[in-house]
Amino acid sequence: MKYFRILLTFFTAGLVIYACSKKYLDKRALGELDEAALANKKGVEGLLIGAYSLLDGIGGNKSGFGSAGSNWIYVSICGSEAYIGSFQNDRGNTSIAAFERFTATATNENLASKWGTLYDGIQRANDVLRIMKKAKDISEADQKRIAAEAKFLRAHYHFEAKKMWNKVPYIDESISYTAGNYRVGNDKDIWPDIENDLKYAVDSLPPTSDRGVGRAIKYTAMALLAKAYIFQKKFAEAKPLLEAITSSGKYQLVNYHNNFNPETKNSSESVFSVQMSVNDGAAGLNGNYGDLSNFPGTGMFGSQPGACCGTFQPSQYLVNHFKTDAITGLPDLDNFNVVNVKYDSALKSTDPFTPYTGTLDSRLDWTVGRRGIPYLDWGNHPGNDWIIDQNYGGPYSPKKNVYYKSQETHLTDAEFWGNVTTANNVNLIRYADVLLWAAEVEVEIGSLEKAKDYVNEVRRRAADPSGWVKKADGTPAANYKVGEYTNAWTDKSFAIKAVRYERMLELAMEGHRFFDLVRWGIADTEINAYIQKEKQMRTYLNSVVFKKNCNEYFAIPQTQIDLSAGSDGVRKMKQNPSCN
Amino acid sequence: MHGCASHIIFNNLVFSSAKFQHYIFYPFHKLLSIVTLSKRISKKHFLTLTFLFFAFTILAQKKITGVITNSVNVPMVGVTVAIKNNSTGTTTDTTGNFTILANQGDVLIVSYVGYQTQEIKIDGQPILVLSLSESFINLDEIFLTGYTFQKLKEITGSVAIVKAKDLTAVPAGQVEQMLQGRVAGLNVITSGMPGGGSNVRLHGIGNFGDVTPLYIIDGVQGDINNLNPGDIESLQVLKDAGAYAMYGVRGGNGVIIITTRNGKIGKTKIDYDFYIGTTQPLQKGPDLLNPQEMADLTWLALRNSGQLAPNGNPFDRYYGNGPTAVLPDYLIAGPFRGLFEGDPRVNPDLYNIDFTAPPLYQITPSNKTGTDWFHEVFKPAISQNHSITVSGANDKNKYLFSLGYLDQQGTLLNTYLKRFTARINTIFSVDDKIRIGENLQLSYRDNPRIASQQGPNDNEIFGTFTSQTILPVYDIKGGWSTLQDDGVFLRDNMVARRTIAKDDRTNYWETFGNVWAEADFLKDFSFRTQFGGTLTTYYLYNFIFGGYNSTQSGLPNNHLSESSGYRRSWTWTNTLNFSKTFLNDHTIKVLAGTEAISNYNRETGGGTFGFFTNDPNYRFLNNGSPSTQTNYSFAGASTLSSFISRINYGFKEKYFLSGTLRNDGSSVFGPENRYGWFPSLSAAWRITEENFLKEWLWLTDLKLRASWGKTGFYGNTDPFNQYSLFGGSVGDAYYDIYGISTGSIQQGFRATRIGEPKTGWQEDIVVNAGFESILWNGKLNITVDWYKKKSKGLLFPITLPDVVGGAAPPNINVGNVQNTGVDVLLGSKGRFSKNWKWDATITLTTYKNKIIQLNDLPFFSPPVDQAGPFVRNEVGHPVSSFYGYKIIGFFQSTNDVIKSPIQDAAAAGRFKYQDTDGDGTITDLDRVYYGNANPKFTAGINIGISYKDFDFSTFCYGSFGNDVLNVTRALTDFFSSYGFSPAKSKTALYNSWTPQNPNAQAPIVENDFNFSNIGAVNSYLLEDGSYFRNKVMTLGYALPKSWLQKIKIEKLRIYVQAVNLFTITGYTGLDPELSGLSAAYGIDFGNYPDSQKQWLLGLNVNF
Repeated sequence: MKYFRILLTFFTAGLVIYACSKKYLDKRALGELDEAALANKKGVEGLLIGAYSLLDGIGGNKSGFGSAGSNWIYVSICGSEAYIGSFQNDRGNTSIAAFERFTATATNENLASKWGTLYDGIQRANDVLRIMKKAKDISEADQKRIAAEAKFLRAHYHFEAKKMWNKVPYIDESISYTAGNYRVGNDKDIWPDIENDLKYAVDSLPPTSDRGVGRAIKYTAMALLAKAYIFQKKFAEAKPLLEAITSSGKYQLVNYHNNFNPETKNSSESVFSVQMSVNDGAAGLNGNYGDLSNFPGTGMFGSQPGACCGTFQPSQYLVNHFKTDAITGLPDLDNFNVVNVKYDSALKSTDPFTPYTGTLDSRLDWTVGRRGIPYLDWGNHPGNDWIIDQNYGGPYSPKKNVYYKSQETHLTDAEFWGNVTTANNVNLIRYADVLLWAAEVEVEIGSLEKAKDYVNEVRRRAADPSGWVKKADGTPAANYKVGEYTNAWTDKSFAIKAVRYERMLELAMEGHRFFDLVRWGIADTEINAYIQKEKQMRTYLNSVVFKKNCNEYFAIPQTQIDLSAGSDGVRKMKQNPSCN
Repeated sequence: MHGCASHIIFNNLVFSSAKFQHYIFYPFHKLLSIVTLSKRISKKHFLTLTFLFFAFTILAQKKITGVITNSVNVPMVGVTVAIKNNSTGTTTDTTGNFTILANQGDVLIVSYVGYQTQEIKIDGQPILVLSLSESFINLDEIFLTGYTFQKLKEITGSVAIVKAKDLTAVPAGQVEQMLQGRVAGLNVITSGMPGGGSNVRLHGIGNFGDVTPLYIIDGVQGDINNLNPGDIESLQVLKDAGAYAMYGVRGGNGVIIITTRNGKIGKTKIDYDFYIGTTQPLQKGPDLLNPQEMADLTWLALRNSGQLAPNGNPFDRYYGNGPTAVLPDYLIAGPFRGLFEGDPRVNPDLYNIDFTAPPLYQITPSNKTGTDWFHEVFKPAISQNHSITVSGANDKNKYLFSLGYLDQQGTLLNTYLKRFTARINTIFSVDDKIRIGENLQLSYRDNPRIASQQGPNDNEIFGTFTSQTILPVYDIKGGWSTLQDDGVFLRDNMVARRTIAKDDRTNYWETFGNVWAEADFLKDFSFRTQFGGTLTTYYLYNFIFGGYNSTQSGLPNNHLSESSGYRRSWTWTNTLNFSKTFLNDHTIKVLAGTEAISNYNRETGGGTFGFFTNDPNYRFLNNGSPSTQTNYSFAGASTLSSFISRINYGFKEKYFLSGTLRNDGSSVFGPENRYGWFPSLSAAWRITEENFLKEWLWLTDLKLRASWGKTGFYGNTDPFNQYSLFGGSVGDAYYDIYGISTGSIQQGFRATRIGEPKTGWQEDIVVNAGFESILWNGKLNITVDWYKKKSKGLLFPITLPDVVGGAAPPNINVGNVQNTGVDVLLGSKGRFSKNWKWDATITLTTYKNKIIQLNDLPFFSPPVDQAGPFVRNEVGHPVSSFYGYKIIGFFQSTNDVIKSPIQDAAAAGRFKYQDTDGDGTITDLDRVYYGNANPKFTAGINIGISYKDFDFSTFCYGSFGNDVLNVTRALTDFFSSYGFSPAKSKTALYNSWTPQNPNAQAPIVENDFNFSNIGAVNSYLLEDGSYFRNKVMTLGYALPKSWLQKIKIEKLRIYVQAVNLFTITGYTGLDPELSGLSAAYGIDFGNYPDSQKQWLLGLNVNF
């Protein structure tokens, strides 16, 4: 019988477990935090950092080349600044090549990546706002600032989406899975929403911050709001904002190349930058990961910058922009593309080559790597040896995103292969950009002379020999000649052309060109002209056409349109006009 | 006259079965010969009958004598003859005769193992002449079903039983693979990768995630893949709710119950089983172009696309710029491409691939005859298996020890499954009423595999389809060759990748088993408590060698990563049993109990770059570069608490009713949906026990069954599904807000998971009706089941639009699916003659799967990284339907383009899509469902024939009417294709559209990627995936007993076996047998083929 007793004890114990299962079945999540744990100042500040962290476009579950914060595919490849590059059979980038040919469809993975990452960033900003409401230990002032930063970021991500697709949904903190209202249409224009968020940020953010150079302050918000106005041609609204920035004394132009050097980043020219970081335990994910293929490298470690993959090669068209008049140092706004800047195609690195001897804008050699010119501290660009296939992608290498040899492994990530992720910031807005907006505003609604002054301020720096690329002996690397506009600007159409041209010179390869062309309404003429000329060298452009009223905006990812329907099957989102 | 009648019946039975035997087994003989034979037999029996009739009238004595023969008139020795309800009994002697004292009217029971037991009434016969029919089925055999043992005839649910012998006939490494085609209703899709997973699906796809049945091994949920198949005693597949509702929420996918062997009463037995064999890679790999053809294709593509250099010729950095493409002698020399013999740059003295001493200078010749990458990584492989078992028992105690060793080498380099298992099973009777026992299994598994084949992963098999044939395996000095600058997404050297993988480790140690105690009390009650579970520890090790270029290993540095973890799970079951027979005919069995299950797992790991040397003895995490050390850990936990009950009622072994009820509570769900009730009812009627069928003696047994029940499913739901969670790692949420560039990144958080507390169980309502029939004592048996399974509230991660953010979506009750189908099992066993025996089974499985509702979703798709963009699940369509633009042909001319509906990128030679909505424009609304992976039916055919000491068996399996998407063709049939830089197929060059070849297979060759070729998801990749395969063919020979007795061996059998001897299929890929996610399968991303031929030699010895 004693066995029975033992067994009976077991049985009873079993029943007890069943009866007490309520507690037995309560399992807290392991290894993650719940909302309550973050509903406090520290937690909300952490969420805000999380919202910032998607500025680089990397870190969401959709991120990839297509979501890079630099927008290099959409801006430079679509905007005639650069070719995909590399070589013909490099179909690792074929889904990117579709952009070069304007055939990217709604199922293109890069578009899906961009869309997903932007809305991820938007909801991260919304999480800040949602959870802050539940926190009790945040002062009113902090609440205001945090909300403003979150709304600023939310506006930025929406702005990016607006540039890409035009008709996109605006997602504020009221929209969530839990609220069940996430099937949102794209029928409304979201500019007013973007403006509202940015106005809130302008009103609520402090003019300075000791909380990190990466943070949005009042002037950052002003600059982005001004940009939003300019995109809508609301020049009158933009003007006071731009003037507030220029008169604040907070920003000034610095040595041109300091903007593209991780050692001198966040200078007084930087208005809004994506902060890049390496050797931080993330194996390169915080260091320009979306641009990792944009190095001249042909895959041979140690002998050249990066190890991958020869994409993002500047176009001849871009290079030709930099020719200047030997006397005035001014560009030829109309005929710059008739004669090419001499290049070294079809030459081996061992073949003799003398670079172009005509006068050039000094910014060329900080923007484009070309043969015979010092490539940072890597020695002279050797031409063919650094180019995967000159015949295909042309003779040039990108430069603004490249690091110095002396920075290798220190300011590039040692954990990731090949030194292709760097601490070089992506400049979203720098002061020169602001000045050129101001010039544009003046051209449109103000004084052409003032516009000229703004443009000259930018050119003056380029004309300063102290900021030029130098040979080892200290002499200028090429025949630089940059002059200011001295004749009075009286013709508005000339002024418009000059300002637009200056943006190309100053901001090439920095994520502006295509969106500028679209907002100016000249994308079809400019890009088709580019294709006509360029296809003589880049034969793959032979059948490429930019279709007006279609290619200005990208296709909304098909899946997102499909998913905008509930079980009734009615899709709330509509596709952009088809290119048929 | 009374006795006479029974003899007539008896003789008729003999006659009938004999006749049946001839019909069945000489089906192709001329009808005439059958008729003649039947006549002869009937004549003989007629004489017997006449004789007995006269004998009865003359003799009426107490001493009964008789002779017992088998159905072919051979006297039977040792047959038990006993008087019913009396202890008197005897056995037949060597001539088959017996003598017994009996009274007039007594009933004799004549029985012999393996033969149908006969009852005969003493009714004045002088000599009893009995002919026993072989019995091929034993309805009194006992099997474990839901928590209880039941006699075969009492089972009211649909239960399929697989004998250990049939299972182990297929020399697979894993039990799942052995189940293919053995059970009607069970679809098994398996892979050739050693230790690779199989898809086991009962009655179609009842949910969108994991549809693997629940494996209960000796009463405890276990991992079937660590089980030594030789340890299995029997395997029962519970197929309807009447059988598996007892398992509640875990039972929704069906339950497979495995009982391991134990000792049998008698002397100690030692069994040794062994086989060794070789697996041959498929002879035909991908059908790729040779280097010159590839170059020609390139020229064709560039010409067709008008992408010509100023001299009017295409150009390519390898093939030059001439009117025809010219293969270079060297692909690479340092940074230079496409060089020729005699070029100073190919000087071997310049060669350097030491990445620690740059600059690098690799020199790689071109392989003008073409590298067959498939056969460079797939090589013949040896497999062997040993299993030794010692077992014994007396009337109180039983024991069994076994040791198993499996070494299954995969044909793909460095893939294998090595498994050691040890088992100790014991049962002790403490006294008359109390028994205790345990089952313990220890296993060790070393199982390196390649990356999952589910989804467009960059795995090695995929690589063999896409690696350029011009690339040799080695450079001029034996280094791995690569096209170094071909970008990150381009091909590794697949041989390098597989060779470097040789040091990788994936080791698992598992302790699995249970202890139990059972006590009988108060006459009709018994109580059982059982505690069992699994403790798995595992260790993973990966070392990446430093590489000299980006594609060779992906890293300039060497890198070590190690991780290890453990999983533990325990199940504690307490059950109380009551069993009683009332008024002779009424049997009641009641079971009630509780069950508690708890799971926990935790893993830690780390990695470091930059080891001073690749020496294996130096590879420790702390020896790498300190700044690159990373570490992590994670854990999971869940619990389940249940109440179980069951009642069985039987009347006269004729009517059976059974009801079960289970209540489950799970930690996975929020409090409001935490508990679920799962009832079932089932009934069976053994119609052959009714008097009106007694005369149909050919019908040995006919059982009609019906059941209804509710089960559930909660698998593939994250244990923390109910919680909205936040987290974030350095890479995805931290930000360098201070702009310091290195090492000062600030912690950030992001939403990692969206919680859904409202999610509850998936409920399966299963209705099943069927019959089991046994004809001619088991010479033929037929089981047919019809079922309808409605799965409500399927659990699946909701596909959310991106506007909700990047947090992982929760599992919700996404919709309802219905499966209906019919399972048929036909079995036959018997003898042709004294020396010839047969044994045959056919299983047929059909199911029709349909999504009948989706909750607030228009459709949902499985993740793209696993299924590609090809699959969509929508109401009215089967799960895993292929969705996209349907190709209706090619545009034949510019004129054709103008006449056809408007289509983006339309041009001659490109695809013309179906204008489904007829609006004259091809838009996303024109996409259709153009195929799905569900087969119309699958069938297994097993045939065994033995002659004297020889045995032959073969097993075939077929799947019919299933579609396959051959994604490898998306890469090889189009010059311009997404994702990779692949090699191209003969189709691309020789069967692509040209004006002269308007009905080609592939579209025009062009260097363009657009909506009208492969830039849209379209039906190009669709193929019929039907196949019929001879899985295994075995010829065995048992050495004569007379020889063996001298060396004290009871049995020694040797056999040879051929696996996958042939496959009949129209599929153009490697193998149409494609596993995958339930929500998306039948997609060929380069699967490890299961159709490889294998030759084996084996041995069974019993002492």
